[in-house]
Amino acid sequence: MVLRSISHPVAIVSVVVALVATIALFPQQLAHWRPEWVGLVVIYWVLRAPKTFGIVMAWVVGLLVDVLRADILGMNALAMALIAFMVLASHQRLQLFPVAQQALVVFLMIGLAHMVVHFLHQVLGETGGGFDYLLPAVTSGLIWPVFRVFWDFVNRKLE
Amino acid sequence: MNRGRFINTLFTQGPLIGSRLVLVVLLSGALIGMDLYLPYGDRVRSWLMTGLTPVYWLGNAPDRVIEWGSDLTTSRSDLLQKNKALESRLLVLERRAQRYTALAAENARLRELLNASEKLDDRVLVADVIGVTPDPLTHEIILNRGETDGLTEGQAVLDAHGLMGQIVHTSAYSSRAILISDDSHAVPVEVNRNGLRAIMLGTGERGRMELAHVPDTADIEVGDLLVSSGLGGRFPQGYPVARISSLEHDPGEPFARVEARPLAKLDSSSLVLVVFSGGAATGSAMEPESAREED
Repeated sequence: MVLRSISHPVAIVSVVVALVATIALFPQQLAHWRPEWVGLVVIYWVLRAPKTFGIVMAWVVGLLVDVLRADILGMNALAMALIAFMVLASHQRLQLFPVAQQALVVFLMIGLAHMVVHFLHQVLGETGGGFDYLLPAVTSGLIWPVFRVFWDFVNRKLE
Repeated sequence: MNRGRFINTLFTQGPLIGSRLVLVVLLSGALIGMDLYLPYGDRVRSWLMTGLTPVYWLGNAPDRVIEWGSDLTTSRSDLLQKNKALESRLLVLERRAQRYTALAAENARLRELLNASEKLDDRVLVADVIGVTPDPLTHEIILNRGETDGLTEGQAVLDAHGLMGQIVHTSAYSSRAILISDDSHAVPVEVNRNGLRAIMLGTGERGRMELAHVPDTADIEVGDLLVSSGLGGRFPQGYPVARISSLEHDPGEPFARVEARPLAKLDSSSLVLVVFSGGAATGSAMEPESAREED
């Protein structure tokens, strides 16, 4: 099944939902495990509509995440742009992967982007050690199949 | 047609994405540098935060719906009971306030005798906590008041029990406050019993604070109340901050290990007070019954 189109209202809604989910709707005690919702949305739309939703778009969305997370401006923007780049560079293959393999790639991409951000934070002396920063990548990978099926379903309903 | 679209999208990638990535990486680098070393970062953040107000609003919506639902389903007898409890509590507090006004007047007279300047009471503004910063390593909350309510950076934030933190960033309709438990935060405090000064550091844990550089011989005990000392000019003087929870004298260490538990309910208060020191508040701030009225 090759579904490649972007429905602007759905895209906007999905981005807003992801932004809201970045700051709310998750128990505070498990905050370390919060999936990278915006990263998932970026992967989803770049995979689906690589022409419309590209690196620059992902960067802009990432900038909003910076503000929401009270992070240094540009950090998450860079991460999202990197994710978009990685998806763009491999989207023909990625489309054909079975869902489990896709989930693994999602984990790797988000993990890699977070590693870059974590590295920058450490260089700037903003954060300590540990590998906790990779937990969101794990949950993102795990949730990817459901995430993808859900937004595919929404898109098909509205097409 | 499907085939056409497929072929169309097959060749979307090209040399363009590489150059775009370089562009975006440079842009990010510039932005990171600007945010760290130049003052414009705050303004950009402020604009974006104002634009993101609906997102904050939506993020807070589930809590509000739950609150509304529980309001709706509270029974009449529960309400009556609650009302009665509140009334009796109000009586107790009013009695205390009666004594307080007399004491405040007396204090003002005594300070006059000492030729000290009179202490002004602070004005406060009530704000709702509409969010928590999602990064689990920082302790910050988002308030639903911003520049339009007269909030500025550095104002102290309290809840009903004690000092919570201070405003670190404002936008038009919301602002961000750092909590005293954040590991990058420190409050100048004094022991209420004897005026011993100390600096209280956040540790990154909600219920534990540390006092830095307390000499082994200092007169400090478990259970002592710590109030803000007003030194440093950030926090107004005299608000309760924490209570000493443990004290350890290690002969091998130059200083005592002193830990304290914050009095404010840092992770559960949903209504907070923002303090305008020296009465520089806007019209929407509440007027306290200040000691001046009695003069």
